[in-house]
Amino acid sequence: MIIRVWGARGSLSAPGPATVGYGGNTSCVELELADGTTLILDAGSGIRELGQRLLERDPGELSICLTHLHLDHVEGLGFFAPLWRAGWKLRFLGPPSPTATLRERVSRYLSPPLFPIGLSEAPAEAVFEDAPREPWRVGSAVIEAQTVEHRGPTFGYRIEEEGHVLAYIPDHEPYLTATLDDKPEWISGWALAANADLLMHDSQYTDEEYRSRLGWGHSSVTHAAAFARAAGVRRLAMFHHDPMRSDRELEALYDQVAATVQDDQDPPLIAREGLEIALGAGSRD
Amino acid sequence: MERKQPDLVLIVARSFATKLATPTLIIDAHGDLVFFNDAAAEVLGRSYVDIGALQASHWQELFHPRTLDEEPLTAEQTPGGVALLERRPVHDSFFMSGLDGREREITVTAFPLFSHPDEVVGVMSIFWELPAAP
Repeated sequence: MIIRVWGARGSLSAPGPATVGYGGNTSCVELELADGTTLILDAGSGIRELGQRLLERDPGELSICLTHLHLDHVEGLGFFAPLWRAGWKLRFLGPPSPTATLRERVSRYLSPPLFPIGLSEAPAEAVFEDAPREPWRVGSAVIEAQTVEHRGPTFGYRIEEEGHVLAYIPDHEPYLTATLDDKPEWISGWALAANADLLMHDSQYTDEEYRSRLGWGHSSVTHAAAFARAAGVRRLAMFHHDPMRSDRELEALYDQVAATVQDDQDPPLIAREGLEIALGAGSRD
Repeated sequence: MERKQPDLVLIVARSFATKLATPTLIIDAHGDLVFFNDAAAEVLGRSYVDIGALQASHWQELFHPRTLDEEPLTAEQTPGGVALLERRPVHDSFFMSGLDGREREITVTAFPLFSHPDEVVGVMSIFWELPAAP
């Protein structure tokens, strides 16, 4: 599985000279599976450039797994080129709601007055489904979705292929409902991340910021590192960077996380646009 | 490592219960006790740390729930059991024996915890000890 980061920013796109190193696009990760299947995680503004790249190939089928429908995870859809080309088959999966279908909820954004063109006008064949409650197969990988602690219905995903595991939990506040010394099974998201080779996890706040943003649905870097240790994760990728965070500030947070790494863990990394990782074969960054 | 864990709804319910000063008890979809808070420990006569998770049958043996007419209640007949089996809120009173040896009359409001419109993952029971009749 090759993992490519197209957007790692959280909450709001943050372009500019202070963020050019790690990027300002919001959440979007591409997975190239061993059998050639493309799987996309989230549709933040990073999916715009990914869509342009996908147009270089013949139209085909794509699965797009949405963790949730906050704008920073769907705002790129209106500019995702395959959606606006006939011949593409797009399967969108996301968390269920007791009141509206996934298509209806996504359409709230992709319709006037928030967007000039309605989703029903998209030429691609797009289907929207609640993600299955049991693990399912996409190409050569097995995907598992579970609800995690965040504001509103929100999934984390576990993608397993050829014995290697990526856990993707970009928006997550596990220590709102658990304590640092709780049994792991009572920590939100634990089963998704357990023994993962790589965990891409919410690392939005400093410890000081977190104190005044308790319950907003995001983690401090300290909590992200603690969660990774509790789950036995081999490597943590700091993800969902605060839009106010400069590259220099991110690197200072990295030092704080790196200092907590244990002997059985690899050094953490800061997710950045353009980062490419081959799971099991080391970073190709 | 087995990766099983409770549904997030149970995790959040447990977290909520730890912060409540009202006695609160949580059972899972099998009817097994998975948590009660410190306020509940005052009524039940022992802390959750001491007792730990309990299967439904053990719960009956320990606390001997009875109707106000002193008829034994099965696990399925307690408010929590009814809420789980019939997927509806229940409010009722009954007698029980605390592990401190005291007999108590308690009033319980139990409601099912739905993670999906068609899936109950447990029941939260909030209860009060009624003062003994003069």
